[in-house]
Amino acid sequence: MSPRTRLALLCLAGACLTVPIWKVAQALPPFGAPTGAYGPAVNALGPPLRHVSNMVSAVNFDFRGFDTLGEEFMLLCAVTGAVLLLRGTRGESLADKAGIIPGRPRERRADATILICRIFGPLTLVFGLYMALHATVTPGGGFQGGVVAASGLLMVYLGEGYETWRKLVRSRVLDVMEAGGALLFAMAGLSPMLTGAAFMQNVLPLGAFKDMLSGGLMLVENVGVGFAVAGGFAMLFLEFMEETRALKSETQE
Amino acid sequence: MSVLPWLVAAWLFGVGVYGVATSRNFIHLIGCLSVCQSSTYVLLLSLGYRWKAVAPIFYDHPPGTLAVDPVVQALVLTDIVVGATITALLLAMALRVDAKHGTLDPQELRPLQGEGH
Repeated sequence: MSPRTRLALLCLAGACLTVPIWKVAQALPPFGAPTGAYGPAVNALGPPLRHVSNMVSAVNFDFRGFDTLGEEFMLLCAVTGAVLLLRGTRGESLADKAGIIPGRPRERRADATILICRIFGPLTLVFGLYMALHATVTPGGGFQGGVVAASGLLMVYLGEGYETWRKLVRSRVLDVMEAGGALLFAMAGLSPMLTGAAFMQNVLPLGAFKDMLSGGLMLVENVGVGFAVAGGFAMLFLEFMEETRALKSETQE
Repeated sequence: MSVLPWLVAAWLFGVGVYGVATSRNFIHLIGCLSVCQSSTYVLLLSLGYRWKAVAPIFYDHPPGTLAVDPVVQALVLTDIVVGATITALLLAMALRVDAKHGTLDPQELRPLQGEGH
């Protein structure tokens, strides 16, 4: 199909869809006044039934925990696929040297960059852990905290350079984090069944409202998600960085 | 005025699809796909929004305060994280395509040929 035909077809489809979209937009409930009953029900039932104050986490890990298990495995599959594509073509051998583009000058890292990264790298990591740990209380959770913690690792790369970064971040550890997190989530769902309860039924003690250790089983699932997300994002970054490194045959010459 | 968020979502999806259809570079195409995906964030968050309501976190506000819909927020949250990894997967595919065919232009790629029948 030529680009011109494709564009014409797209315009035709767009023209056909304009009126239905307009009709649907007008038929939807007005902005700011949702009519769904599910959200208000969760808001009303979450604090008394589960002793948690963060309703988004309550939905993710308890009320719709089964859906999050699916999301968790989507994450695992996407990361596995990307790693397979990148690592599969490159092999497992690791050379601790950054790639050099011929002709491009290599400039020393500015002191300001190193200083800022040394200050904010650990801070970002701690903030990510804080966000992940307080999932059931304040805004945050394993998903957000995991991404923030993984970005803390990027600050190490930015400030210390590729070689230090490779020494610090082990891909084996990330593999275990990523897969272990998903496993922990699945086990958190299955283990209540050993006691005769339903899948992912919240059988652990719920703790006190507004306490970091509230939510029972949600905390276990949250740790699983945090590990999987942090491990997955760090691993993706590692694999893409490995694409740019110099191959052993190139560095020996 | 109250239809504006839905139209913004539709427009975002539309420009994303336009970009995908006319793209001459896989990296650009993946960016356009992310724009399409962002339209779902706008749509979902707008669907759950409620005037004069707080975030669905009952830490500073006592339980029972009028709050926005937490279900769509949870959906968007997982969507963003999974979407980022899917983008990484697509970028890895783009790298492979470039290594195998030496081009990132989707319009120059021929359909895959089976080897011997």
